[in-house]
Amino acid sequence: MAQVASEPIVAEPIGPEVGGEPSKQVVGRSPGQLFWRRFRRDKFAVAGFVFIAIMIVLATVGAPLLSSVVNHEPNEVFVSEALNEIGLPIGPTGEFWFGADTAGRDLFVRVLYGARTSLTVALVATGIALVIGVALGLIAGFYRGKVDTFVSRVIDIVLSLPILLLALGLVAACSLSRTGCLGGLIRPGVLLVSYVIGLFSWPYIARIVRGQVLSLREKEFIEAARAQGAGDARIIFREILPNVTAPIIVYTTLIIPSNILFEAALSFLGIGVKPATASWGKMLADAGGGIFTVAWWMMLFPGLFLFLTTLAFNLVGDGLRDALDPRTAR
Amino acid sequence: MKRYTRLIALVGVLALAAAACGEEAAPPAAEDAEAQRGGTFLGGLESDVDAAFDPQKEYYSVTWGFYHCCLLRTLVTTPGTTADNGGNELQPDLATDLPEVSEDGLTYTFTIKDGVTFAPPYQDTEITAQSFINAMEREATPAVGAGYPFYYSVIEGFDEFSEGEADSISGMTAVDDKTLEITLTRASGDFPFRMMMPAAAPIPDGAADGHNKDYGRFLISSGPYMFEGADEATAPPAEPFPGYEPGQSIVMVRNPSWDPDTDDLRDAYVDRFEIQIGLTADDGALRTDSGELHMMLDSVPPAQQIQQYQGDPERRDQLFSFVGDGVYYISMNVAEAPFDDVNVRRAVNFALDRAGLLQIRGGPLFGEVADHAITDPLTDFLLADFDPYPSPDGSGDVAAAQEEMALSAYDSDGDGVCDDPVCENIVSVTDEADPYPDQSALISQNLEPLGLTLDVTTQERTTMYDSCNDPGAHVAMCLGPGWFKDYSDATTFGEPLFGSSAVGPDSCCNYALVGAPPEVLEEHGYDVTEVPSVDADFQACDEMELGDARVQCWADFDAKITEEVVPWVPINFARDVFVAGDAVRGFDYDQFSGQPDLAGVSLAGGGGA
Repeated sequence: MAQVASEPIVAEPIGPEVGGEPSKQVVGRSPGQLFWRRFRRDKFAVAGFVFIAIMIVLATVGAPLLSSVVNHEPNEVFVSEALNEIGLPIGPTGEFWFGADTAGRDLFVRVLYGARTSLTVALVATGIALVIGVALGLIAGFYRGKVDTFVSRVIDIVLSLPILLLALGLVAACSLSRTGCLGGLIRPGVLLVSYVIGLFSWPYIARIVRGQVLSLREKEFIEAARAQGAGDARIIFREILPNVTAPIIVYTTLIIPSNILFEAALSFLGIGVKPATASWGKMLADAGGGIFTVAWWMMLFPGLFLFLTTLAFNLVGDGLRDALDPRTAR
Repeated sequence: MKRYTRLIALVGVLALAAAACGEEAAPPAAEDAEAQRGGTFLGGLESDVDAAFDPQKEYYSVTWGFYHCCLLRTLVTTPGTTADNGGNELQPDLATDLPEVSEDGLTYTFTIKDGVTFAPPYQDTEITAQSFINAMEREATPAVGAGYPFYYSVIEGFDEFSEGEADSISGMTAVDDKTLEITLTRASGDFPFRMMMPAAAPIPDGAADGHNKDYGRFLISSGPYMFEGADEATAPPAEPFPGYEPGQSIVMVRNPSWDPDTDDLRDAYVDRFEIQIGLTADDGALRTDSGELHMMLDSVPPAQQIQQYQGDPERRDQLFSFVGDGVYYISMNVAEAPFDDVNVRRAVNFALDRAGLLQIRGGPLFGEVADHAITDPLTDFLLADFDPYPSPDGSGDVAAAQEEMALSAYDSDGDGVCDDPVCENIVSVTDEADPYPDQSALISQNLEPLGLTLDVTTQERTTMYDSCNDPGAHVAMCLGPGWFKDYSDATTFGEPLFGSSAVGPDSCCNYALVGAPPEVLEEHGYDVTEVPSVDADFQACDEMELGDARVQCWADFDAKITEEVVPWVPINFARDVFVAGDAVRGFDYDQFSGQPDLAGVSLAGGGGA
């Protein structure tokens, strides 16, 4: 298989200097090693990566673990302990580390479980967008002509659709039934939010992939593969796809924070997850209006986590882009 | 009548304010009110009215407040003030006096005041006996979809007209233009009260023709105010009055036809009302604090606003709280599994933490825990100590709940936990406004030990009520409703809530489907073919003369509903609380609607916010 050499093997000097002159000895490094060296140099990207890793750990095992440490469940209500005489929630204490919300629930535990919601929606939605976007981008860029025109128009249409109205309509239509819509495939909650976000974010990936494929299909190695009798499918999956992996990874990583914010926005508007489900966006909505003037913790902690998580993904995405394409490196 | 947003915040400061003032919000002194005539009252609403101001359909306390003060006069009515000041005492309004009643209690004769006309564009049309017959005929027209026609079935010929068997209501006779005679099929001691409800307000001949579904947009006023733009319309109006923009605003201006000499019950100080629809409670509170609004009319003052006013001596007297005649409750659909089993319904009553739900609403000062359905004043406090589902401090008794659940068919092993799939993800709806989503969290927690899990959907208030009222929606639990008396008789907690005639979607408000006929159950896809009925019970009470026996009958009915039929979990009896802006003077509370009496409100300096 011929591969467009993204990076030549670099000769780097190693060994001690002798007589003021560095000794020059060639050390071969693979593209992966080169990538990792470049990525590591970006301290912000590394910090973002570490933060994301911590959030994933928190969302998976950390949330239930810490929940058992404080002995509070995310939906457990503590009316007499957490609300004052006129129903206002208490602030951070030794028992409620982040304070309580207006339902008397432990905000610390809900923020942790909110990470689970946000990351689940973001990753599922991004996965959906990835599959659809890569597939259509490959097809459009490779076949060009009418196929490309058709896919491009579909992209334009999808980008023009009023996503919020659609989400509102789906929630309204499918909310009052045990089975939801389409035999239970569409039910208000995390899944519906993921579908909606995924179905409306694939065009961005598709456009990137399409552009890359349009460029790659003219390369000599593609001609060589055809000359060897390779069919379209083999060329797409064995020749082209590996060469668009890098931009796919980069842009996918950059889409994730958008999807996290999108979920938060839908939940903020009350058309996202169910009321009982911990969600940063929903928590921010609950803190809206005037309650945050007397219960600042209801806004601070979910807002902080949301901000730091989206920032981390953005930093990692920037770092990946710079590491995979040194032309953009600082 | 439904109590949507009526959060009853019995604020402690209110107690202080009451103590300072000596009484719950006493009416303004006449000399102060005289000096404050004029101006524009700026109000806010979280939700729009329920049925676009259609007087035969509206069954919503907020709309009734607008009708009672401002838009619709009736033959008789109560003054817009508190119960202590006579707010429950019937007085003549468009009638010259209370009706004459025949010896057998079957015939009521009303004499109508001379010279009272409708508002523009019917300013030349005098209100006559026929005007009231027009209203009742519209109430009886099925295509209109009236909100509470069952109150008027007692009128001879009403049901026959409704069923198309007659061209008129035989029991209503315009003896002459000024004399209306109404004959009943049976004695009904509270009948005069039924003629004070908005559905009984007069309608000019032909004004509602062709408007079965939208007469409210063309509402012809008989009160001191009318919708803006009515004076520029033709008779009949060709276009909806611009004064009411659904979902956006309500603008009422003075009715030039209104003669204060014919109306002792309304002062009508302000010149104009501008009501903005769609504000949140928090937004409304901020605007009231800043002076942009004079008052929110349908929301509970947020807890932070109450806390703020509690601590500010200069603002304490802007907080008002009154004993409302309402109850907040949870409705269980007795035709929908698992609530088709009375043991499950009783178990839920044992399990729920009513005190906690009240605290989420704002604490024990914001009302009191309710152990039965009908508010105590309506049954002379005969059930004040009635507590069929006792628990420590009203916080719920899980053990007792599980004992009850163990008797249910849905608990096959008798361990007190439902093990049938129907107990999972029970379809429930609640109001999206505070405190209902927070309350739903506690309710879910309370029911988990019984093996009941809820799938809660929050909806805008009127949408929630529509969902709860639609048997076809199969809502198993309605978590956010409230009910306010229609008038001062316990009958208003009977048929409208538990009568077979009040099953939706065309009628209201029997969300639990008590007494739903088998054909209705089948039509809406229910597996059960029969549900408990209490029609005979409340009819028996309704026929009684006013007096102790009638009150005892209603108390017994309440006990039966609570212990034997169990369609509800009553949560708390309500108090109404309002925050008035700095410029508001002469604020009074209309006991009938549970709303501020806008005909009695005045503004400082005669105008401005």
